[in-house]
Amino acid sequence: MADDDPGRGTVTKERVDSDELGAGGTAGVAILRIIAAFAVPIISFVVLWLTFEFLRDAEANRLVLALVAIVVGVAGVFALYWGMDLVVNLLPARFRESVRPFVFVGPALVILTVFLVYPAVNTTVISFMDAQSQEFTGLDNYKFVFTDEGMLRSIRNTVGWIIVVPLFSVGIGLVFATLVDRLRRGEALAKSMIFLPMAISFVGASIVWRFIYSFRPEGFGEQIGLLNGIWMGLGGNPVAWLSEEPWNNLFLMVIMIWLQTGFAMVILSAAIKAVPDDILEAARIDGATEIQIFWRVIIPSIMSSIVVVTTTMVISVLKIFDIVWVMTNGQFGTEVIAERMVRWFFRNDHNGRGAAIAVILFLAIVPVMWVNVRRFRAEEAMR
Amino acid sequence: MTATTSRATEREAAEVRRPGFFRRLWDRWPVKLAVLIIVIAWLIPTIGLLVSSFREPNLVSTTGWWTANIFDSAEWTLANYEDVLTSEGFGNAFLNSIAVAVPATVIPITIAAFAAYAFSWMEFRGRQIMFVVVVGLLVVPLQMALIPILKLYSQGAMIGGVTVFPDLDLNGTYMAVWLAHTGFGLPLATYLLRNYIGQLPASTIESAQIDGADHFTIFRKLIVPLSVPALASFAIFQFLWVWNDFLVALVFLGGTRDVRVLTQALAELNGTRGEAWHLLTSGAFLTMVLPLTVFFALQRYFVRGLTAGSVKG
Amino acid sequence: MKKYRWLIVVMVVFAMIAAACGDGEADDGDGAETTTTAAAGDGDGGGATGEVSVFGAFSGIEAQAVQQVIDEKINAVKGYTAEYEGSDSFEEQIKIRVDGGNPPDVALYPQPGSVVEQGDLGNAIALEDLGFDIAELEALFGPYLVSLGMGADGKHYGLPTNVNLKSLVWYPKAAFDAAGYTIPTTWDEMIALSDQIVADGASPWCIGIGSDAATGWPATDWMEDIMLRTAGPELYDQWVTHELLFSSPEVTRAAEYLGQVAFTEGYALGGAENIPSIDFRDAPDPMFNDPPSCYLHRQATFITNFFNAPGDEEGASGLVAGEDYGVFGFPDIDEGKKGALGAGEMAAVFRDAPEVREFLNDFIAADLQCAQGAIEGVARISPNINVGPECYRDEIIATSAEVIVEALKVDGFRFDASDLMPSAVGSGSFWTGMVDYMLGGPESLPGVLEAIDTSWP
Repeated sequence: MADDDPGRGTVTKERVDSDELGAGGTAGVAILRIIAAFAVPIISFVVLWLTFEFLRDAEANRLVLALVAIVVGVAGVFALYWGMDLVVNLLPARFRESVRPFVFVGPALVILTVFLVYPAVNTTVISFMDAQSQEFTGLDNYKFVFTDEGMLRSIRNTVGWIIVVPLFSVGIGLVFATLVDRLRRGEALAKSMIFLPMAISFVGASIVWRFIYSFRPEGFGEQIGLLNGIWMGLGGNPVAWLSEEPWNNLFLMVIMIWLQTGFAMVILSAAIKAVPDDILEAARIDGATEIQIFWRVIIPSIMSSIVVVTTTMVISVLKIFDIVWVMTNGQFGTEVIAERMVRWFFRNDHNGRGAAIAVILFLAIVPVMWVNVRRFRAEEAMR
Repeated sequence: MTATTSRATEREAAEVRRPGFFRRLWDRWPVKLAVLIIVIAWLIPTIGLLVSSFREPNLVSTTGWWTANIFDSAEWTLANYEDVLTSEGFGNAFLNSIAVAVPATVIPITIAAFAAYAFSWMEFRGRQIMFVVVVGLLVVPLQMALIPILKLYSQGAMIGGVTVFPDLDLNGTYMAVWLAHTGFGLPLATYLLRNYIGQLPASTIESAQIDGADHFTIFRKLIVPLSVPALASFAIFQFLWVWNDFLVALVFLGGTRDVRVLTQALAELNGTRGEAWHLLTSGAFLTMVLPLTVFFALQRYFVRGLTAGSVKG
Repeated sequence: MKKYRWLIVVMVVFAMIAAACGDGEADDGDGAETTTTAAAGDGDGGGATGEVSVFGAFSGIEAQAVQQVIDEKINAVKGYTAEYEGSDSFEEQIKIRVDGGNPPDVALYPQPGSVVEQGDLGNAIALEDLGFDIAELEALFGPYLVSLGMGADGKHYGLPTNVNLKSLVWYPKAAFDAAGYTIPTTWDEMIALSDQIVADGASPWCIGIGSDAATGWPATDWMEDIMLRTAGPELYDQWVTHELLFSSPEVTRAAEYLGQVAFTEGYALGGAENIPSIDFRDAPDPMFNDPPSCYLHRQATFITNFFNAPGDEEGASGLVAGEDYGVFGFPDIDEGKKGALGAGEMAAVFRDAPEVREFLNDFIAADLQCAQGAIEGVARISPNINVGPECYRDEIIATSAEVIVEALKVDGFRFDASDLMPSAVGSGSFWTGMVDYMLGGPESLPGVLEAIDTSWP
C-alpha cells in the first residue's frame, strides 16, 4: 500500500492563522471564532432539521414547500462542509492536515455506512436465518441457492447478461461517442436521441417494448408488436418472442442495452472530449489514420473511463430485475439472479433465501473490484 | 459559443494542413450514415410510444402503431394527454417530484465531490481500501436496503444499550427520501467523480498548493470549476434516476394524495389491472419533458476544450 | 475585512436560528390548537378523533371510489378521518412497511393467508382484542369468510371488506343467439357446445393467462372452479392447506378437465402453447370479431373493463351488457358438487386506537358498503350479507352480488385457493406450473403437479 507517498501532496503550506490576528490579547475574537466554527455546522444542521419539521407539518402551498425544501436542502449541505472545515482550521497545525481528509470523506462514509453497509451486513446475517428471520438455520439457504433449478438457470442467464449487455452498450456507446465527436452539426441532437431512453420511466419503457415484442396468435386480431408486424410482412407466422427459449433472454437484453447505452455514451463522450486536441493533431501530422488514432490514442487515453463505465454496467446488470419481472415474470427460462432475489424475498416471503441470493451478488462483484484496484494503482503510479 | 467557433476554426486549419484521403472520407458520409443508423435504431421503440400516445385507446390495442395513418384525423386524439394533465393531483405530484429530485441530485453530488477530491488528492491512511469499499457498495441491491433503513427511520438503532442512530421519526418526510437517494447514489457519484477528478493534471493542483491554497480553497476554486462536465453528467443521471424512481419515494414518503410523486400518480391512473394503460403512454412523455430539458440545458458543458482550455490557462 | 467576516457569520447564523425557532414554535402552537378544536367538536361526530391510514392493493378508479365513500361517510361527518392509499405493488410494499416498523393502521390484503401470517407473527392485532364479537361477524359475513382469518392461536385477524365473483363465463350474445347456441348448465353440455362451435368453423374458447409479473393466474382460477365442482368444497379446503396434494387423484382429475378445454384440437383459439403468451386483457377481444373467432371466455366480473370491439372508438363502453355480450355461471360437473368461487380483501389491523376501531365498524357497515356500489365502473361487491343487490348500479355486478350473498349464507362460497396458499405456491409455483402445463401438454401434468408439491414450504 502506497498510502503515505511522501513525494506528493505534502507540499501544503501551513497557514499560520494566528499571524492574521493582531498580536496582543485578541482572545475575545479567538473565542468568537471558535464558537462560530462550531456553530456553523451545528446550526446549519438545526436549521435543516427545523425546516424539515416545518415541511412535514405545514399545510402551506406545495410550491412554497418545494421551494423551501430545495433552497434549504441544498444550501444546508454546503454550509455543513464549510463549517466543518472552519472547525478543522482551529486545530493545532500538526493535526490539521491529517484530520482534514476526514472532513472531506467523512460525511460520505457516514451516509454510506448507514444506508448501504448496515443493510449489507443485515442481509448477510439474515441469509443464515429462516423464512421469517426468526432462527438460524446454518447454510440451508445457500444449499438451496446452489441446488434449486430456477436458481441455477438464473446464474447461467446472469453470466450471459454480464457478457452481452456491457459488451454492446459500452461498444455502441464508444463508437457512437467517437463518431458523433466528428460531426460538425447536430452532435447534441444525435446524442440526445441515444440518451432519450434513459429519460423514460421504467413504466414507459415496458410499454415501449410491448409495442415491439407483443404477440397475438392468429384470430386475436392484428399484431401490435412491430417485430411480428415485420415478421408477418416477410411471410412468417406470428412468433411469441418472449417465450422462445433461449432467444428470449437475448430479446430481454436488448431492452437493457437500449436503456443503458446512453449512460456509456455520455460518460465516454465527455472522456473523449477531454483528450487534448494537440495529441490528436500530433498523431495526424505523424500520418496516423483515423482508425489508428482511435485504437492507439483515444482508447488508451480514455481507458480508465472505459473501465469505470464497464464496471458500472456490470453492476447494474447484476442488479437488473424489473425488465425480467415485468416482461416475462422470470418464466420461459429467463430467470436472473436479482429477479430471483426479489421473488424469494418479497413474493415468496422467504427472507433467508432472498438474502442468500443477495450475498451471491455481493460475492460476484469481487473480481470486478479486483480489476478496479489494479487500475486504480496503475493510475496513481503514473501520476 | 466562442469555444465552438474557435474549435471549428482549429479543425479547419488542421484539415488545410493535412487533407488526407482517409480523413476526408471518414469525415463525410460514412460517419453520418453510421450515426444515422444508430439513432434510428434507438428511436424506433420511442416512436412507437409517441405515436401511440396520440392515438385512440381502442386503436392502440387493436392495430399496430406503424399502421397509423398520419392524415386521417379521426385516428388521432389529444385526449390521453388531456386526461393525464387534468387528473386529480397531477400538478401537486409534479411539485412533489421536483421537491424530491432537485435536493436528491445536488446533495449526493456535493458530498461525492468532496469525497472524490479527498480520494484523489489527499493523503490519508486506508485511502485505497476505503475507495474500493465505496465502489463495491454499488452492488448492494436497493431492495435489500429498504427494510433496514425504514426500521432505522422509525425506531432508531441501539447497540448494547447505546443509541447509534436516534429515532428521528423521519418516515414520510422529504428528508427521508433525500437521505435515502443520497445513500443509494453516493457510490456511483464518488466513483465517477474520482475517475474524473483524479485525472486532472497534477501540476495544476501542486502549483496551487505552492501558492499557499489550502484544500478547501483548491476544491472550491480549482476542482469544482474544472469538473463541471463530470458534475453535469452525473447530475443528469442522478436527476433522472430520482425523477423516475418509484420505489424509494413510495417506501419513505408514502403514496397518499398529498405526498405522492409523479411516477406514483401515473401508476395510480393506470388502475389495479391496467385498465387505463393508454394513459401511461402520454404520461411517459409528460414525465420526460423535464429531464430532457435538463439534458439540453447541461449540453453546453460537454464541449471539447472547456476543460483543457481552463487547465492550460 | 477578514476579521469582521466571522462576526457577520455569527450574526447571520443566530438570525437564522432565531427565525427557525420562531417558525417551529408557531407551528407547534397551531398544531396544539387544531387538536383541541377537533377534540371539542368531537361530541357531535360521536367518538374518536385522529387519522386512520388504510393501505390496499387496488388503485385507479376503484381507489378513487373507496376514497370518495370514505370522504362522504366518514371524513365529512365523523370526528376522525381516514385516508386510503393503493399500490399495485402491495405485496412488496406491505412487507417493507410492516417489517420496517412503519405499518399502516389498516391493510386490506387480497390474500387471507398473509393476514393470518401477520397475526401469527404478532404484528397484526386480533379482532377479539379490538372488541369485535366473532359471532356477530359470522352473522354479518357468513362463517366461512370469518374463518379464513383465524390464526394459530384461535383468534381472528382478518375482517372481510370486499369480495368478487370469478365463476363466470362470458359470451358474445348477439352472435351466440343468432347461431342458435344455448347456455350450457353442465360440463358435458359445455363440451358438446364446444364441439358444435368447432363443427361450425370457429374456436369455442378464448384463453389467455399472460399478465406481466403475474403470468399464470387466470389458469389457477380455472383449476379452482373445476376443483369446487369435481371434489367439492370440503376437499377444496384440504387442497388449500396441502392435506390434499397437488399430485392427488382429485387435483389431477381437475387438471385433466382443464386440459380437455385447453388441449382439445380446435378448442382454444391460437392453440394451447400460446395461452401463456396471450395477455388476459386481450384474451376476450376475439369474441367481438364479426363473426366471432371464439364464443366463450371464463373470467371474473372486472373483465368487462377490457372488452374491445374492432373499430369501436369508445373502448369498453361501446359494448352493451345483455346485447353485445352475456354471461352465465360456470357449469356444474359432478352431481352435488357446487360452489361459488371468488376472491376479495381482508383487513388486518396494526394499531389499536379508538379511531381505528370506529373506522373498522364504519367501513364494513351496510351504509358505506352500499354507497360503493353506486359508483360507475366499480366492481366492488360487499361481503356484508345485509347489502342487497339494489345497491349496485351495474346489473351484472348486482347479479354476482346476489350469487355471492346466497353462497355465503349456505357456506357455498370459496375463496380463490391461490390467495389462500403460501405465497411461494399461490403466487409462485402454482402460476408457473400452469404455464408449464400449457406449454408442455397433457403428458407434462404429473411432473408439473409434483413440482408444485415439492415447492410447498
